[in-house]
Amino acid sequence: MISFSQVSKRYPGGHEALTGVDIAIAQGELIFLTGHSGAGKSTFLKLIAAIERPTRGVVSVSGQNVGRLSRRAVPYLRRNIGLVFQDHKLLFDRSAIENVVLPLDIAGVERRESMKRARAVLDKVGLLAREKANPVSLSGGEQQRLCIARALVARPALLLADEPTGNLDAGYAADIMTMFRDFHQVGTTLVISTHDDRAIAALGGRILHFDHGHIAEVNP
Amino acid sequence: MTGWLRHQKRAFIVALRHLSTQPLSTLLTALAMGVALSLPAGLYLALDNLGRLAGELPARPEISIYLAADASAAQKAALAERLKKPDIEGARFVTRDQALAALASEQGLADLAAGLAENPLPDAWIVRPRDATRDALIPLHDELAVLPGVAETQLDSAWAERLQALLAIGRTGVWLLAALFAVALAAISSNAIRAQVLARRDEILVSRLIGATDRYVRRPFLYLGAVQGLLGGFAAATVLAGAGAILRGPIEQLATLYGSAWRLHPPAAPEILALFVFTALFSWLGAWGSVMRTLRRVEGPG
Repeated sequence: MISFSQVSKRYPGGHEALTGVDIAIAQGELIFLTGHSGAGKSTFLKLIAAIERPTRGVVSVSGQNVGRLSRRAVPYLRRNIGLVFQDHKLLFDRSAIENVVLPLDIAGVERRESMKRARAVLDKVGLLAREKANPVSLSGGEQQRLCIARALVARPALLLADEPTGNLDAGYAADIMTMFRDFHQVGTTLVISTHDDRAIAALGGRILHFDHGHIAEVNP
Repeated sequence: MTGWLRHQKRAFIVALRHLSTQPLSTLLTALAMGVALSLPAGLYLALDNLGRLAGELPARPEISIYLAADASAAQKAALAERLKKPDIEGARFVTRDQALAALASEQGLADLAAGLAENPLPDAWIVRPRDATRDALIPLHDELAVLPGVAETQLDSAWAERLQALLAIGRTGVWLLAALFAVALAAISSNAIRAQVLARRDEILVSRLIGATDRYVRRPFLYLGAVQGLLGGFAAATVLAGAGAILRGPIEQLATLYGSAWRLHPPAAPEILALFVFTALFSWLGAWGSVMRTLRRVEGPG
């Protein structure tokens, strides 16, 4: 599903975040990205979602060379990818459910159908009772779950999560990881960047360890 | 409903929501557009009314032929025969008594006419030539002026031509002004939309990350520009209606003083429609330019 072939990424200013990365991820896999801050985990995720373009090499997602996608084609790639951000990137001028329906609005799904799907996914993440709440009134854990609900509402085949439990206490983090396990069990490919060793131990999956832009596979 | 229509409907609703969240800014923008547009639109209406007034006056040039007091019956008959030729579309004979009666009926001249010991006015022919061009009129006028029994002739076209020429210059001026104000309108819209795009920076960036296309992001702002233009058109129409209501009384009073029943004409429905289309279109164009520029700034070259 995803392949990196001799991929390097150098940012303006000279910092090389990834160097000659070769890796393949199959459909339905659960992947954990580990490593210290600045090791290249976020860049790896951004290259998959075409938020960044590789300086060298080929990043391929579902057979498409992501680095060569036109500006017009990028949105259609992203509609098949659920993105979970450490800082949630929620919109505070609208309710929780309005945040969740946004990807469906973008995809042109009929309003009644999108509200139905948004409620279903809010129910799955345990936030149905808070559907009308403004995200600002939600706790950190609830905001992260809301972000996950928004990432999943369009039923993407691939979910990318960048430090999804980074700012959460152990209880919330465990809940969210359990949620990810459930989605993985129904066939979603998950690529999760995390420092949470307990979660990795509990869920299993492949571990890709990042160190100064290089990847080493670690057997759990 | 198709996906395309759904997107349009959503964008329109979002645009209305943006407008309603900033009522004061919306009102001020509409007022700025309305005031800017009311000048060329008001001039257009003024010229239209002047054109109508000119239209009520003899539209075609006429030649007045005043007969000599001692013109013989034969000379009069020869002149009447000449006026039946094909180069004359029509001719009306006005006796000296009819001329005096007409003079007496003019406002303020009745006393003067009544005070005359005898009628000083001559018999006259009012001639309407078939060919109203200057090249045809001058030779005809010169020919009629030297016929026996003719004391004097007058070609009554110069003032009408001057008025028409002035109106034509005025109309050209209105179009030039309209073009200038269209640029001003687009600039006002562009500035308002730029502020809206910057205020919605986070929403745009998040939407981009989850698959929004350029068109999806752009569409609400374009609707916003068009709706703002319509509001500007409404403001301009309101300004013109207000000015018309204030000026109607004095103008009609002035017309009455000149013995005319002329009335100020309000803009017709197609003209009001044209004003709305004009404002919506140029505001939309301003919004388009602004959105393209500002999005590039907000999102980076990507």
